[in-house]
Amino acid sequence: MTDNAKESKQTEPLLSRRDLLKVAGATLGTVAITELVITGPLSPAEIQGIERESHGAISGENEWHMVIDLEKCIGCQYCMWACQGVNDVPTDEMRWNVGFPEVTDNGTEFFMTRPCLHCSDAPCVKVCPVGATWTREDGLVSMDYDRCIGCRYCQVACPYDARRFNWEVSEQENPYQPTWGTAEVERRTRGVVEKCTFCEHRIDRGVEQGLVPGEDVQATPACVNVCPVGARVFGDIKNPESKLSQYLDNNDTFRLREDFGTEPKVHYVRPESEV
Amino acid sequence: MATLELPRRQNLTPFTIWMAGLVLLLAVGAIGMAITLIYGLQVTGLRDQVPWGLWITHDLSAIALGAGAFTFSAVVYLFRIKRFEPMARVAVFVGFLGYSSAMLVLAMDIGRPDRFWHPLIYWNVHSVLWEITWCVILYSGVLIAEVFPIVTELKFFDRYPKIREFGHSLHRFTWVFAIFGLALSLLHQSSLGATYGVLSGRAIWFKPSLPVMFIISAVAGGMSLTLLATLVVGLVRGVELIPRDLIRSISRVIAFALLGYLYLKLWDWAATSYYSSSPGAADALARLQATTPYTTTFWWLEIVLGGLVPAVILLWSQLRRNPAYLVSALSLIIMGVVVNRWNVTLSGLVVPPQWSPGVTGGTLAVSYFPSAVEVMVSLGVLAYMLTAFTLGARYLPLFKKIGEQEAAHAD
Repeated sequence: MTDNAKESKQTEPLLSRRDLLKVAGATLGTVAITELVITGPLSPAEIQGIERESHGAISGENEWHMVIDLEKCIGCQYCMWACQGVNDVPTDEMRWNVGFPEVTDNGTEFFMTRPCLHCSDAPCVKVCPVGATWTREDGLVSMDYDRCIGCRYCQVACPYDARRFNWEVSEQENPYQPTWGTAEVERRTRGVVEKCTFCEHRIDRGVEQGLVPGEDVQATPACVNVCPVGARVFGDIKNPESKLSQYLDNNDTFRLREDFGTEPKVHYVRPESEV
Repeated sequence: MATLELPRRQNLTPFTIWMAGLVLLLAVGAIGMAITLIYGLQVTGLRDQVPWGLWITHDLSAIALGAGAFTFSAVVYLFRIKRFEPMARVAVFVGFLGYSSAMLVLAMDIGRPDRFWHPLIYWNVHSVLWEITWCVILYSGVLIAEVFPIVTELKFFDRYPKIREFGHSLHRFTWVFAIFGLALSLLHQSSLGATYGVLSGRAIWFKPSLPVMFIISAVAGGMSLTLLATLVVGLVRGVELIPRDLIRSISRVIAFALLGYLYLKLWDWAATSYYSSSPGAADALARLQATTPYTTTFWWLEIVLGGLVPAVILLWSQLRRNPAYLVSALSLIIMGVVVNRWNVTLSGLVVPPQWSPGVTGGTLAVSYFPSAVEVMVSLGVLAYMLTAFTLGARYLPLFKKIGEQEAAHAD
């Protein structure tokens, strides 16, 4: 320490008026900025209000859920193929709706299928750096392929392996067309992520025409329509009269890994549940 | 300017061989990049279950090891600890090379490099990756502003005094850049850990300690790389570029950061895996231990060789005074940071969460090994960093103060 500094330490008060003003100013400034960021015009809520009207909030009239009855399912795989036909997924590695033979703890065999679960608190929505995936007003987790930069953080975040990345240009013939369906959406380009949409194009067009998703086939996901045993039920959970709500009322259901806190919108009926 | 004293007409000097090797690696990297851009990410060893691998490790390591820039900038230009001044310029230069390397690799790693600017226009404030993107872009601007005055000291700019003057005027605001650099780095260096720490579906990652461990290891690793770079240049030139007491001080700071890091890591492990265990984490760890050499790489490479051994060397003055030990210790720390970033990234991915309600359908482990193209690109970017540093060490006044050009010419 120099002599000069020693001297000034002796003569000046611990906190001069100038310092006091500085500290007060800094405190006020910090409070003002904090307010601005937490509740003011720079707050997440405000920014998102501008960005995406319904980001994260399921505020719409309808909320689409699905039930998959593992007791009823016969493992025919039609739901997987219909999905590939309609959503134009040519290769099996890229399947949005996956399925495989499974066994319970007690040794009961069943067939497990899994579309995107459209989580109400979806990790993929939170992590996307560009908001290319978001929660719609009706709860669907939707994607904007034109906005996606292909960073694949959503794949890392999704605990259910529901997301597929276009590692290459997809030019193959689709073996599931036209037997299982014809393409209703455009095939995705190289370098973006894709996933099951609950056939949102059908839901949107159907609702516009006054149809009821889950009841009218034109407005219902392909996998639900094609199921020969009615193991997939789709509908509006906000309407207590819907087929889906009724099914949920009359059956014990569970959701996949609820401990993750993701609040999936796909409900399962246990393979061993007694009717 | 101090340069290597080389015999006049000898073609095969060590320097030529070194540069030839680097140029070769640069060519290999360029080929790898071209292949990636033409054929897309199918040329990597990545897949939907392991979508991040070697390149993300390279990114995280390059950014962590570039942390010397903000650390030394803050120490020298903000806290005005003059003793550390000889480190400041080489630190920002190494930092700039680290961040530019990370951006190069990232440009290869994202599926749509043409949309790299999207995070700036399309905001998702809930995403740590969005925050990181902003911080890294802004901080790269800070690094450019800090490196620019050094570049204007090149002889080339004798002809453009206006540009050099601008460089000098930028240099007067280094304290402002130091403040921004400190703030931005404290944010993104930790958020890079939070990238993994916030994911509730992956038990191995889901913990609040990751961001803190990331920034502490970055400070230790970044200071180590800066010091190592300075020492290596000094050894090659056969001169002492920084005083010994400064080496001692920096070594001690690094060692204490390492010990603090190891302390956190000890409790991170003890609280979650020894004294208690969350079912998810225990299950994932068991699968990890059964299918990968994680236990060995974690305990031996990260903790013992990457942390304890170098901390002891740096604090034990007899060992530290021996340049071989000192250089080895710093290299071990850098190795430890890289292995840690690899382990963190892959540990959460190769043992995916079990979501099937049955007992056979889950995938116990997914394997990942970098493809040849991934290795080529990484080697190329590494060669870029080494080439730029070699040229910088040779032609830029990295170890002199601004305006000391004349004095430098004299020696």
